[in-house]
Amino acid sequence: MHYLLSFRSLTFAQRAARVLERAGITGTVSRVPKAASAKGCAYCVIVAARHKERATAILTGAGIQPERVLLRHPDGTLEAEA
Amino acid sequence: MIYLDCAATSFQKPAAVRYAMSRAMETLSSPGRGGYESAMAAAEVLLDCRLALADLFCVKDPERVVFTSSATHGLNIAIGSLIGPGDRVVISGYEHNAVWRTLRGIGADVQIAASPLFEPDAAVEAFRKLLPGAKAAVCTQVSNVFGYILPIGKIAALCREMGVPLIVDASQGAGTVGLDFDGLGCAFAAMPGHKGLLGPQGTGVLLCKDERVRPLLFGGTGSVSAEAAMPAFLPDRLEPGTHNVPGIAGLLEGVKWLRRKTPAALLAHERKLLAAFSGALAGNKQVRQFYSSDPAYQAGVLSVQMGEMDCEEAAEKLAERGVAVRAGLHCAPLAHETAGTLDRGTVRFSFSPFNTVGEVLAAAEAVKEILG
Repeated sequence: MHYLLSFRSLTFAQRAARVLERAGITGTVSRVPKAASAKGCAYCVIVAARHKERATAILTGAGIQPERVLLRHPDGTLEAEA
Repeated sequence: MIYLDCAATSFQKPAAVRYAMSRAMETLSSPGRGGYESAMAAAEVLLDCRLALADLFCVKDPERVVFTSSATHGLNIAIGSLIGPGDRVVISGYEHNAVWRTLRGIGADVQIAASPLFEPDAAVEAFRKLLPGAKAAVCTQVSNVFGYILPIGKIAALCREMGVPLIVDASQGAGTVGLDFDGLGCAFAAMPGHKGLLGPQGTGVLLCKDERVRPLLFGGTGSVSAEAAMPAFLPDRLEPGTHNVPGIAGLLEGVKWLRRKTPAALLAHERKLLAAFSGALAGNKQVRQFYSSDPAYQAGVLSVQMGEMDCEEAAEKLAERGVAVRAGLHCAPLAHETAGTLDRGTVRFSFSPFNTVGEVLAAAEAVKEILG
């Protein structure tokens, strides 16, 4: 399973991916699925589920908080975290 | 050709600039518009360039580094964000038409903090008198006509003290004269990418203090696209439309090059060239030179008047001898008015990292030959 950390802009998503990379967490910048982006085009960083807690903590510490955190199940369905 | 018109554009650039532009045209598509490899690679180039510029100008967040098409474009955004019709604005006496015409076009109440050439203390006092109650201030970092480095640190401190937002026109200083954007606390700084930053024409940079900006252009940004309003966040708010990716790729290489050399070393080189050129003409009574006795206030731009000769005729004769310079008012009539050269204009020699002492001495010889 993976988590999608969505950001308000591509620039933020890129910065987040670089911060995570420096911390040893691989994150892939990708577009947010249409079904999960009510406001239109958006970008996210995809991380393995096992890195989610640490990744969000690192990003919060770096001042680059994701706008939303979505769990992507193996069947592709998305579940928003509260 | 001996190119001494670097204040107009950096004609000579690091080879990496054109290689990067060519490579970009072959491999990069539109950033922020797709998730495929060439689009994401383009986005990485943009982020790398923002990060390099943020580091160079001491901007904490790369989002506040906005790409524009020119310094003029950036100044129009900055001025339009802060100033409306009738608002009182204080500007230095050395502003370019990119500031002067924009303010006049808006219908602002423009007050000029005029002070004599190369008298920085007088410049600070002129601002001190006019700033109270002003809506904003605009000051060039370096005069594009005279190479005069204005005391921007002191003027910015005054603006902070009086709560007046400051716009810095860094067109002539960016890349050589240091600019600590966050440290100065100014609202905006605008600059071209193609002068001291050594990128290609069609590139520019606007540094923003925060997201309180008014877009000049509206359109697609590849973000929050379901909304009718422009995004509230930077850089998207100010970057609608397709980016000049080859240009920004070239700009990135220009910035990398100058950071390796260091802006301080490049400024020292330009000052050495100016001193060599000026020294070679020092004994010639027909040549009137405008430069600072204190090198701390002089960048690599030197204006001269050659006897009674029309400045355009002088530039033409220099061109015939293979020396490229610019004559006239340099799109800065206000600077000429302040310095007392509005009636005749000047011939401007401006130096770059790629000029040599031999070149500037040859140019000085050409001046002597023309004057007989």
